Amino acid sequence: MPIETREVEKIAELAHLKFDPQELERFVGHFQQILEYFTQLEAVSTGDVEAAHQAVEGEKLATPTRKDEVRPSLPVATALDNAPESSEDHFQVPPVIE
Amino acid sequence: MSDIHQMSIKQLRDLIQSREASVTEITESFLKRIRQCDGKIKAFLTVQEEPALAQAAQLDRQLASGESKNGHLTGIPLAIKDNIVTQGVRTTCASRILENYIPPYDATVMSRLKGSGAILLGKTNCDEFAMGSSTENSAFFPTRNPWDLERVPGGSSGGSAAAVAAGEAPGALGSDTGGSIRQPAAFCGTVGLKPTYGRVSRYGLVAFASSLDQIGPVGNSVSDVALLLQAIAGSDPQDSTSAARPVEDYVGEIDQEVKGLKIGVPKEWFGSGLDGQIEQSLRAAIKKLEGLGCSILEVSMPQTEYAISTYYIIAPAEASSNLARYDGVRYGHRSADQTDLDSMFKSTRSEGFGEEVKRRIMIGTYVLSSGYYDAYFIKASKVRTLLRNDYHEAFKKVDFLVGPTTPSLPFKIGEKKTDPLEMYLMDVYTVPANLAGIPGLSLPCGFSQEGLPIGLQLQAPYFQEARLLNLGHALEEALAVEKPELAV
Repeated sequence: MPIETREVEKIAELAHLKFDPQELERFVGHFQQILEYFTQLEAVSTGDVEAAHQAVEGEKLATPTRKDEVRPSLPVATALDNAPESSEDHFQVPPVIE
Repeated sequence: MSDIHQMSIKQLRDLIQSREASVTEITESFLKRIRQCDGKIKAFLTVQEEPALAQAAQLDRQLASGESKNGHLTGIPLAIKDNIVTQGVRTTCASRILENYIPPYDATVMSRLKGSGAILLGKTNCDEFAMGSSTENSAFFPTRNPWDLERVPGGSSGGSAAAVAAGEAPGALGSDTGGSIRQPAAFCGTVGLKPTYGRVSRYGLVAFASSLDQIGPVGNSVSDVALLLQAIAGSDPQDSTSAARPVEDYVGEIDQEVKGLKIGVPKEWFGSGLDGQIEQSLRAAIKKLEGLGCSILEVSMPQTEYAISTYYIIAPAEASSNLARYDGVRYGHRSADQTDLDSMFKSTRSEGFGEEVKRRIMIGTYVLSSGYYDAYFIKASKVRTLLRNDYHEAFKKVDFLVGPTTPSLPFKIGEKKTDPLEMYLMDVYTVPANLAGIPGLSLPCGFSQEGLPIGLQLQAPYFQEARLLNLGHALEEALAVEKPELAV
């Protein structure tokens, strides 16, 4: 099933990515080739097989819990050190409310 | 005394303990080697010259005054892949989006190495966000294979494997999501281990595909890899997926008898896609295993042909979710080309990520999107179960599996870069271990006529690293591979 440029543009929108027309053309080609390869999986019979969602089978599956106690965390100033823009004690972003 | 930079970690430890060489001398000789050959190999993104020497001097003072706690890696300088965060030391993941990122904390493996007395020499190059099989996807520069500078070192941990092969570091850490430790180890003639998922904490490993990622060591011998694993393995409250199992004595158990072990040779791993010289070298190594008293049995891994599709659906799906965090708000690159929040996200990500990373985010977003989720992601997750069942069946009959690490010899730089699918197919023998979560060890089994390294892979059931390293060590001694001259 050939993928259309329009569809790739929609996926880019969902992924918060943009491509110029040339990039997009090359991209659609590669995308097509890879999806084509994936169609080999249609030949595998997976009727009542359970999907694997754990990395290691049989290891404890429960999420470990701990007491809800306050523990030391990064100081605000340190957390802001890598921010492209910050102001006082917060990250700064372009206006979101008109 | 041979050159310090050609010594194993074990030998360096002995030198330090006997005071035949100071930690400063050892650190200096690796830094000198880096200055001498890294201009050609380009294994490092960051070299910590001054901090490494300062730490070495401090350790020397402690050793002289008897204050040293004598961790089992005291004074050993190591190279760390640049997707493992290091407090105060730039960590880029070989990506423009993190070009100037200085982590405020250490990965658990880093705190453990520091606690063992190891010294951080520098951070090594890799494919951007560990996505690739050649280290050509680094946003900064490709790394070159120390045996042939025109060829790739493999990837994604190509910098770590090349640095160890060239004697720029006696050991290194990498990460393996689909073969990223084992494949470059094979291409560079070094030893690389992907531990069982959960054996080593992933806290501070920049996430690519969380159900597949695992940190592991690279060294010039199996016993060095055992030493490094000993330092980093174990459960960690900061990583809820780390296994709450005791750590075995990898170093102490390395010399056990291997006679009587049953080794499986999956027939699907010796198909038409395998390079003739690699097959020949492997067949000879399998004879050596027989010579060690192991019995060799043919087994079947019928899902092998579906492993690449399964992996390249699941890994990008997880990556598309993990990489959503790069939005230009809290850290990393932020685009100036923006009018509002949404355009800031898009411009930042489009400028910051390279082509392969964007491709994987796109594939991942696609296979998770409404209408395709069942056909791709769920289907692949079911095939993952079947592939895991292949291992269950095989390990009912045998203790280990043996096969190639890579289908081809190290290829030329640029040769496969324009064809992503062809590059993906290079991972056929490594991705199954990640999909199943089991450990895999790659070690050199010979060199091709052109003088290029050939890797052999041993795989074991969950958490059998001690026996895996034991067998690898015995085979390494039996093979006694003679290495040709390096190109540097």
